[in-house]
Amino acid sequence: MANKGRLLIVDDSISVVNSLQTILSLSGYSVDSAFNGSDALRKIYRQDYDVVICDIEMPGLTGLEFLARVRKEFDRSLDVILMTGYMEHDYFIEAIRLGANDFIRKPIDTKKMINSIQELLYRKKSIQDNEALYSKLEEVGVSLKVSALNFGSLSFSSIFNKHLKERFKVNPDALNELMVCLDEMIYNAFIHGTLELDLEDRVLDHEKLQKCISERLKEPQIAARSISISAEIDNQTQMIQLCVEDEGPGFDFEKWLNTSFPEPILGLQEHGRGLSLLKHLSAELNFAKEGRQVSIRKSLTHPGKYAP
Amino acid sequence: MNIELNFSENIAAMKIDGILNSENAHLLQEKLNEVMQSDAKLLELDLLDCRNISSTGIGKILLFYKDFISKGGDIEVVRSSNSVYELFSMLKLNQLFTVNLG
Repeated sequence: MANKGRLLIVDDSISVVNSLQTILSLSGYSVDSAFNGSDALRKIYRQDYDVVICDIEMPGLTGLEFLARVRKEFDRSLDVILMTGYMEHDYFIEAIRLGANDFIRKPIDTKKMINSIQELLYRKKSIQDNEALYSKLEEVGVSLKVSALNFGSLSFSSIFNKHLKERFKVNPDALNELMVCLDEMIYNAFIHGTLELDLEDRVLDHEKLQKCISERLKEPQIAARSISISAEIDNQTQMIQLCVEDEGPGFDFEKWLNTSFPEPILGLQEHGRGLSLLKHLSAELNFAKEGRQVSIRKSLTHPGKYAP
Repeated sequence: MNIELNFSENIAAMKIDGILNSENAHLLQEKLNEVMQSDAKLLELDLLDCRNISSTGIGKILLFYKDFISKGGDIEVVRSSNSVYELFSMLKLNQLFTVNLG
């Protein structure tokens, strides 16, 4: 029978491990076992598994402690199913927070367990297929144009984060920086470019700022504006180009370039901190269209200003 | 992003996990308001698990700092991730208050 996937069963009960190993092996999985969390961590270091099925109540490292270590020391692509005899509310919340992929109640319903494993493996394969497809394309691009009226309700960082993580192998630090850059560019395009809020408005507390934004969006000229966001990835160089453009009056970027570099002096009311941050985190920062368009180039494989 | 805030005598200990950006900076502002309204004289920021901070988050910290020092308070970053330490150094925040790495 073809190997459907590599599993690791972790339980201090020899009878549970043996029976699960037999059932899952007969179902076509390659199954390994460990009798405590520390032993399981050692095995994960040495070998790749698709899914780990782990008991919560174990002497030594508990299932939750094991899960926390897995999430801290390995990437999230290792799926973990937790087994437990009871579902205490607090345990459940903690396990979700730590990133458990599923739960199986003891005594184990093996049909449910196999369904859960199959679903996780199917999801993993679909992510891998996506990655394989996108890695074969020379260039991948996406572009969006969003009305100012709908802008505040969308989390573009989350959308792009998910899109990039599912389709490309991105260095986690580079991805974090990329999300900060995107946040800076979009915030600037919306708050400065589109709404034309000044410093006094921007430092208002959240509630007042939201009220101020709503008021601005009632002005027809501002409500008619859109923001365009595009991302292009060059698979050869593993560089991404992010570009954000608003339909506002623009700004004097040349003045900023001449006054802010190379030392971004910090003041409590300083302007241009976001742009300094973009410069600090990207290989290239460019302006066009009288400051209405800002673009950066950044590596997907290395953090900072790296460029191949 | 998650923020934990605990008070002990005159010290407010704040731990920020995740990415602090324009979408969640208002949550930081709420916590900083709590510190401002308390008797705390020192805000200890633990940024070890903070993966990055956007300029909106930096702006919130700076505005708080300005008001906090005027009432005799101070900020210390007790731990920070590499990326946050680099960012604070680049923006010269370490000239305003102590920023420790790791």
